[in-house]
Formats: sequence, C-alpha cells, structure tokens
Amino acid sequence: MKKSKAFRDIFEECLEFVLVKGETIEECLRRYPEHARELKSLLEIATATKKATAVQPSPEFRERARQQFYAALREMPAQKKRAGFSWGRQPQWATVVAAVLALLLVSGGTVAAASGSMPDQPLYTVKRASEQVRLALTPSRLRKAELYARLADRRVSEIVYLASRSKSEQVLQTTESLDEHLARIADLATTPKMMTYETSLTAPMSTTTPTETPALGKAAPETPPPVTITVPRDDAARVAFEERTELRAMVMYQAIHNPARLKAALMNAPPKTRLALLRAIATSETGYQKALQSLED
Amino acid sequence: MHRATPHGYARAWGGAQGLAYGGCQVHDEGDLVRRATQGDQQAFAQLYEAHFDRIYRYVSIRIGDKVEAEDMTQQVFVNALHSISSFKWQGKPFTAWLFRIAHNQVVDYLRRKKKQPATLLNESLPSSDYNPQTVAELNLDMERVSRATQQLTEAQREVISLRFAGGLSIIEVARIMGKSQGAIKALQHSAIVALRRVLLVRDNEKIESLS
Repeated sequence: MKKSKAFRDIFEECLEFVLVKGETIEECLRRYPEHARELKSLLEIATATKKATAVQPSPEFRERARQQFYAALREMPAQKKRAGFSWGRQPQWATVVAAVLALLLVSGGTVAAASGSMPDQPLYTVKRASEQVRLALTPSRLRKAELYARLADRRVSEIVYLASRSKSEQVLQTTESLDEHLARIADLATTPKMMTYETSLTAPMSTTTPTETPALGKAAPETPPPVTITVPRDDAARVAFEERTELRAMVMYQAIHNPARLKAALMNAPPKTRLALLRAIATSETGYQKALQSLED
Repeated sequence: MHRATPHGYARAWGGAQGLAYGGCQVHDEGDLVRRATQGDQQAFAQLYEAHFDRIYRYVSIRIGDKVEAEDMTQQVFVNALHSISSFKWQGKPFTAWLFRIAHNQVVDYLRRKKKQPATLLNESLPSSDYNPQTVAELNLDMERVSRATQQLTEAQREVISLRFAGGLSIIEVARIMGKSQGAIKALQHSAIVALRRVLLVRDNEKIESLS
C-alpha cells in the first residue's frame, strides 16, 4: 500500500515536470529508473490525453458567446439598481444603453457570421475590402464613426485570435488598424463640421441656435450667439442627439470590455506574442479614451 | 510541485491565474473576484475571458458533443453571472466555484440524457497486455478520449476532465471534488491506467479487424 502511494506521487511529480515544465519523458524516467517501464506508458497516455483535450472553441462560437455574455453582463447593474444599488444619476441613460446593447445583441450574430474570416485566412482580404466599401458608402459622419467602432471591435477579436496562435507580427499589424480605427472615431467626433451640426441640433427650440456646443445634459448659454446653419432642428436634432448618445454608449461599452479581453488574452498568450499584446492593450486603452473624450466634448 | 499563490491558487496546466505577465501588471484573480462580486463589469469580463476556454474544454470532454458543449459553456457563465453577488471567499476559490457550476450542469445534462457509463474499469484489471510501442503510436483526439472516459468511473472521469481538459491543479481538483490531494492523485493514477487499457484494447481491436 505504501509503495503504491509512493508511485502515485512519483507519477504526479513526473506529470508536473513533463506537462508544465516541458521536460521530456526520458528525463523523468532517468530520475526513477526502477519505475521506468510503468511510468513511460502512463506518461505517454497522459501527454496524449492532454494533447487531445486541448481543443479551442471556434472563433465564431467564441464571438457569439461573448456577445451573449456581455449583453447579460450589461443587464446586471440595472438589476442591482432595483436592489438598492445606485448607478448614475440619469435613468434615461440606462434606457439608452440598454437599447444600444439590444441593438448590439441583435446585430451581433449577423456580424459574427459575416466576419468569420481571420487575418491568417484566405477570405480576410475580402472582408477588409468589404469594410472599405461600407465606409465609402456611409455618408453620415456619426454613422461612419459608429462603423469604425464596430470595426475596432472586430480588430480586437482578431488580435485575440492571432495571439492565441503565436502570430505576433500579425498582432502588431492588426493593432495598427485598431489604432487607426479609434483615431478615426476621435477625428469624426471632433471635426468642425460635426461640431457645428451637433450644435444646431442640440440647441433649444428657437429661431436661432447657438454656435457653442453646450455639454450634453447641461443648460444652453443664456445668451447664445446667432448661427447661420438652418436645419429642421426639432426632429433632426433629436435624431442626431440619439445617434451621438448611442455612439458614445457603444464606445464606452467597448472601452470597458475590449482592453479587458486583451488583458485576458495576455494571461494565456504564448511568450512570443506578449510584447505585441502589450502594445495592443496600450493602444486600445489610449485610443478608446481619446475617442470617448472627443465624444464628450 | 505547484506553488500556491496568496489566494491558494496554483499555476496549473494551462491555468490562467496570473499576476504579472511580460512586465504588465494584471489584476490577480482574488482582486478581480472581489470587484466582480461588487458589480464591476470589467472585472467579471476578465474572469470570463480567462476561464472561457478551460470551461469549454472541460464541458466538451464530459459530454462529448460539440453543439451541446457550446450551449452549456455559455450557460455556465450566465449562471455564474447571476450568482456572483452571492459568492463568498470561504476557502474555495473562484475557479473551484466556477467549475462546480459547470460540473452541476454536466451532471444535470447527463441525467436528462440518461447516459450511463457502459462498463467500469479499474486498475485491478490486468494491464500487462499493452504493447509499449503501441502507446507511442496512439493518435488521440478529443472525441476518442471523451468516448474512452465513458469507460471510467464517475470520479475517475471527473478527475481526468478537470486535470487534463480544465487544466486544474491537484489542489484545485481536490477542492472541487471535496477529497484529499492524496485521493485525487490515486484517482488520477487509476484513471490513466484504465484509459491505457481502454485505448490500447480498442487500438488492438482495430488493428485486428483490419488485418
């Protein structure tokens, strides 16, 4: 009995050496020559079992599951609020976020299905080309910024996928695209044309509108200077305000979760891709902050 | 041997309880769990990303059906999300708690499916009939391993699933199964012995049927 227990400890020790520390089975057998024959076959079965069970979820499933989980995650604060927890001062904000998340959830499956190809797969160039077409066909700056946000989300998924396959060079390339997408969101949110448009649309109901954009949720200046833009302020203003609010909610949502996804990927990343992932994390954090700041202006 | 972290974790086979990687400070799991229980979404998102693959692998080998495994993996995290506020750090770490949720769902599923292991093998069966050459030539895949584990006892199957597919340490498996580390080592040993027999017997039968 005692001898049997000792062998189990030896077996566990060898498993640790072989499966965790990367020793060869032969190195382990040299430590315990008296058990070499039995240890050899058991360790071979164990390593074959470990290898066989190292399956990865498909990228499509991973994305589908993530969309569902994050949607469920976003519902939690509302539940806590009902239970007495505070979540911000603006109840309408929760409604807007919930609406955006519902939108994300509904569109998520379609996006995931259409975006199955990854940078190391043949159809990827087609995917990127179709993205350019969509951007070119999107005239509205707000809608274009929203599309860039969705593309940034895709790039993060691709980086996670590439990192798990030790493709550090492609991680860096995709990180550059992510950086560019996030910078474009910031640009589109701060260009003078957009600001002026927003100004007129968020102005109070009057025959003239202020040129200086009041912060959202704050009162307009008491004596607004006149402006020259003439737009149907009531309906169009409401639409633009909602679009901007939706975009901000989307970017805020991504700003929370995408750096988290990259950090989690870093935990399991092969050593070769860690530096590239660190750059991706820094890029996502900085990029999303800038985009959010632009949307808050 | 595994080195336990301040929270009682061990860096297991492919486990994800890290502190700092590549010079980047990553929140340790204890901190993440504490924040997640307080409603911090980013913390729970990190826990989700860190454990998703391991839960998927564990569920896959236990039920041996890809589609069902995908659905169940999603459900494990949704259930965890709904229960996280009641999680308390009382000796059992988050990993054990999460795998316990997965385990319970697997058991419910198997009960519904009324899947019973065919014949149970144990290490008392003679094992001298294996050919060492054949072991090295085994070309296993998940489906074959999953089928082979159906020949193990429930406890053996659980140990193999948690250790090899879930990537947990002996300490973590012991916590989840409520057994001593020595008992888990014994179960692991007997399970591998039984797997060797099942896999090699099938391999030999296959060779004989072809010849």
